[in-house]
Amino acid sequence: MTGPGRPEAPPDVTGSWVHAFEEDTPAETVYRRADPDHPFPPARRPRRRIEFRPDGTYTERRPARDDRLNEARGRWEARGADRIAVTFPDGGGSPFTLTVLSRTPGRLVLAR
Amino acid sequence: MTEPSPFPTPRRDLCGAMHVHRRLLNESMTYRARRAQIENRALQFESGRRSSARTGVITIPVVVHVVYNAAEENIDDQQIMSQLDVLNQDFRAANPDVSKVPDVWTSLVADTEIEFGLATKDPLGGPTNGIIRVKTAQSAFDTDDGVKSSATGGSDPWPTDQYLNMWVCQLGGGLLGYAQFPGGPPQTDGVVILHRAFGTSGTAAAPYNGGRTATHEIGHWLDLFHIWGDDDGACSNDDRVADTPNQADANVGAPDFPHVTCNNGPNGDMFMNYMDYTDDAAMFMFTMGQRERIDACLEGARSSFTVASQQAPAAQPAAAAQPAQPAQPAKQPVPAGGVTHDGDVERLLHDSERLTREVLDDIHNMLGLVGHRPSG
Repeated sequence: MTGPGRPEAPPDVTGSWVHAFEEDTPAETVYRRADPDHPFPPARRPRRRIEFRPDGTYTERRPARDDRLNEARGRWEARGADRIAVTFPDGGGSPFTLTVLSRTPGRLVLAR
Repeated sequence: MTEPSPFPTPRRDLCGAMHVHRRLLNESMTYRARRAQIENRALQFESGRRSSARTGVITIPVVVHVVYNAAEENIDDQQIMSQLDVLNQDFRAANPDVSKVPDVWTSLVADTEIEFGLATKDPLGGPTNGIIRVKTAQSAFDTDDGVKSSATGGSDPWPTDQYLNMWVCQLGGGLLGYAQFPGGPPQTDGVVILHRAFGTSGTAAAPYNGGRTATHEIGHWLDLFHIWGDDDGACSNDDRVADTPNQADANVGAPDFPHVTCNNGPNGDMFMNYMDYTDDAAMFMFTMGQRERIDACLEGARSSFTVASQQAPAAQPAAAAQPAQPAQPAKQPVPAGGVTHDGDVERLLHDSERLTREVLDDIHNMLGLVGHRPSG
């Protein structure tokens, strides 16, 4: 497992992020840092939440059929300068790779 | 509208379907067995092999738990009554905006013949106004059922086979509300609604000040799925209701008619259905097929409400609306020979007992599988 601090300095995505779908574009999916002081506007569509922890664990809370957020736990690791690989060793989802387009302390932009 | 996502679309196989209910499934094997039974019954109703035996309107007693931190979250009685009024219109197809249903679908509009009234008796038989107010130290709740227990800063439910528990509180992350399907754990059964999306007055705020969040969540509580089938924009899964068009993904806002997806033209998505994600002002109908699923639920997993309502028809709810004029006559088989309500109740009780036996058998069989086939 390659940790988030590998030498080629991948984007530091650690932390909890909430889908700010109002800011999405055809090519981008935009997340905002989960922050109680930054309330998200109410929306009927639940907002997906993702968390990259420094220890390599990954938590995803995705909208479910009853409007709850169902949790899936896995692992994440940086792959080069802008790629994040997510796996679910204990089941709960298929592995996938995210491409980070940009990141600021409060905003994370992923390729669709 | 397709949710923009870099995440893979779940496969539409058994594992994918199980994944949707992951949290509850992990907590309880019995949930899986119960859901299978509930789906079987719904399919029997949809296919016409069974039909509703109930006659007349069912009134569901409601207890509203107002769980507040900030003073404004302690919503007033008027706001609560405004929500009950909306429910009693929407579930009777007596909502004024039902007239906006496109002509092509007016024949599908359903009066579900369900009304809601604030409870007049508490679980011990004492008088109540059906409203509980609890101060909490929690600034906001999540979808983890925290609001449903005093141990986590919420309010404990009243018996969930006798009351529809509605929790009204502050929710974090922009959530409007969430529900629990029939067959889930009784201690968390009910619906949760953001106070700003509850009712039509007080703290209710546009565009969710039409009371439709509760209509939508109670739809789930009565076993309705999202109209697009929760397949992340694919066209491979639907809501298991035959008369709602298959559509790709949730619609939001107030779309223009028609909005065509999944080759469902010329009429397109039924985005004005309460089980889509449109704004309150843009949703105004249930369908006859959805009523079939609700009927299956009310004579299966939630039959206790049907039995109670038909055993005590004189008990008028505190907030029931005047009987509404349904936009369309509801499909309602009349028992031949004028069978009495007592006979219907007996049948429902018998069905409930049989359902319990079937669930227990399923659990027994699953335990047997686990014991003899550890590799699955």
